[in-house]
Amino acid sequence: MEDKNGFNRRNFLLASAGAGLMAMVPPGVRAGAWAAGSDAPEKKEVRIGFIPLTDCASVVMASVMKFDEKYGIKIIPSKEASWASVRDKLVNGELDAAHVLYGLIYGVHLGIGGPKKDMANLMTINNNGQGISLATQLKDKGVTDGPSLKKLVAASSAGTYTFAQTFPTGTHAMWLYYWLAANDINPMKDVKSIVVPPPQMIANVRVGAMHGFCVGEPWNQRGIVDKVSFSVASSQDVWTDHPEKIVGTTADWVAKNPNTARAVVAAVLEASRWIDASPQNRSKTAEVIAAKSYVNTDVEVIRGRMIGQYEDGLGKSWSDKNHMKFFNDGAVNYPYLSDGMWFLTQHKRWGLLATDPDYLKVAKEINRIDIYKQAAAAAGVALPKSDMRSHKLIDGTVWDGKDPKKYAAGFKVRA
Amino acid sequence: MRMLRVLVIDELEARAGEICAGLALAGHQVAALLPTAADLTRRVEEIGPDVILIQTDAPSRDTLEHLAVINAAAPRPVVMFARRGDGPVMRKAFKAGVSAYVVDGLRRERLKPLIEVAIARFEEHQALKCERDDATQKLAERKTIDRAKGVLMKARGMDEEQAYAALRKLAMDRGQTLGRAAADVVEMAKVLL
Repeated sequence: MEDKNGFNRRNFLLASAGAGLMAMVPPGVRAGAWAAGSDAPEKKEVRIGFIPLTDCASVVMASVMKFDEKYGIKIIPSKEASWASVRDKLVNGELDAAHVLYGLIYGVHLGIGGPKKDMANLMTINNNGQGISLATQLKDKGVTDGPSLKKLVAASSAGTYTFAQTFPTGTHAMWLYYWLAANDINPMKDVKSIVVPPPQMIANVRVGAMHGFCVGEPWNQRGIVDKVSFSVASSQDVWTDHPEKIVGTTADWVAKNPNTARAVVAAVLEASRWIDASPQNRSKTAEVIAAKSYVNTDVEVIRGRMIGQYEDGLGKSWSDKNHMKFFNDGAVNYPYLSDGMWFLTQHKRWGLLATDPDYLKVAKEINRIDIYKQAAAAAGVALPKSDMRSHKLIDGTVWDGKDPKKYAAGFKVRA
Repeated sequence: MRMLRVLVIDELEARAGEICAGLALAGHQVAALLPTAADLTRRVEEIGPDVILIQTDAPSRDTLEHLAVINAAAPRPVVMFARRGDGPVMRKAFKAGVSAYVVDGLRRERLKPLIEVAIARFEEHQALKCERDDATQKLAERKTIDRAKGVLMKARGMDEEQAYAALRKLAMDRGQTLGRAAADVVEMAKVLL
């Protein structure tokens, strides 16, 4: 069958094979793709919400570069003002899918602090590229890193210092808490924690609403350029190649639109591959997303850290090979079960979950590996050997997804 | 109907004025009117409203989410949809548990249902708070009773059962609750022992 874009299954598979990458996809997956019925997308127009951040790039570029047309859909990026609004619009169907915080989708699935609805993670959008910054005023008190921050916090009464993140169950809360705890500062007891939306972070630190914050780029770099804050850690320092944003939607939406879901993943995978293909492409991407309708800030503020040029605002600059990654030969995008479970272990650690969930079951419900594998086959993207991956985090602890309950209970600093 | 102290967060002054007028007509107090403000956490703590009304597209919503997650006693924000004011969206939002109500155009007479939702939210949250206070109090009471039993066991050589019986008799004789009597015993012990 053929849709109006002249796209059919045979051409599609041939095109992928032509890319020379189909060989990397296990034959079983190739055969499994499009096994039954029509493969035409149920919806031609797909509204995908995003928040103004560098890592919305692959969703935006899938639309701007028309990778979506190749798969018979039209992605309409929809700029959103808050994560709570993204969540509500996913839950009530105003958005089809969204560029969204990994932990948020898990939080909604379990009903942490808000509505409970079965959710779906179609793919990981990016690794790395978030950061932890401190207000310039702390530098005057001799604070330039974790240990000196610990000294300052320990010398004051609990709650004297305030730290901001972007959503209670989100990724930035978890990177901030993890980093503070690795420096022996208890984020629940020693300091105060508040939420500030990413685009408002710099304005808030300028008026002294908090002493430090964790947010996605370009806002850490913006703070350095505006001389209101400096960098003490990047999220890749906390966990190199950590999962960050995902393409999230509801389980209902995937059930109703499985072909559309597959087309969205394939289109965003192609955009991800294109962005990571060369420094020129990254640079072009920075130019596109800097526009008012997307991130709305200076190109240079986005571009530097996107290609790994880091400075800390204290005089040090370096090249970071673990900068924000969108593709990395497909290693970024696979919805690893261990990645999903990690957020649950941290929700448990910090008291957002009162009891241990069935970690593996929840991750298997949310992470739609089935859809991802079909889309990866269509886009000619290699698959990893395992649903789990293993990393050593900043505090020396290894996370491999094997015993989440024990891992969650094993942290000394906790709620 | 009780009077609510309402915090309105809206960056559009004219629209906010309409909401405030509607709230006043319905007999409620507007505790404060804030634009999408910096330092919202501190302001909410200072003002201590019963209900917060906020525009669905306001970035500050995430700040209020956090307050609700970390503090069960914080008011749950009531969200206003100014656009897309159609019934199905509203019903879906309700069913999904989104704290939302559709007000198309925010005309004053349309504020009534909004306020009703606000009251329902407030009552739900008061019930939660009472439940929590109740649980906290019961726990504290049990601790006091244990301490009073300890005093009696030590000072009068009673076993635990006898100490409990003595406390219960004391409470009945004086027409007090067990917790109150236990607290008196503990207080007296401080002076006498």
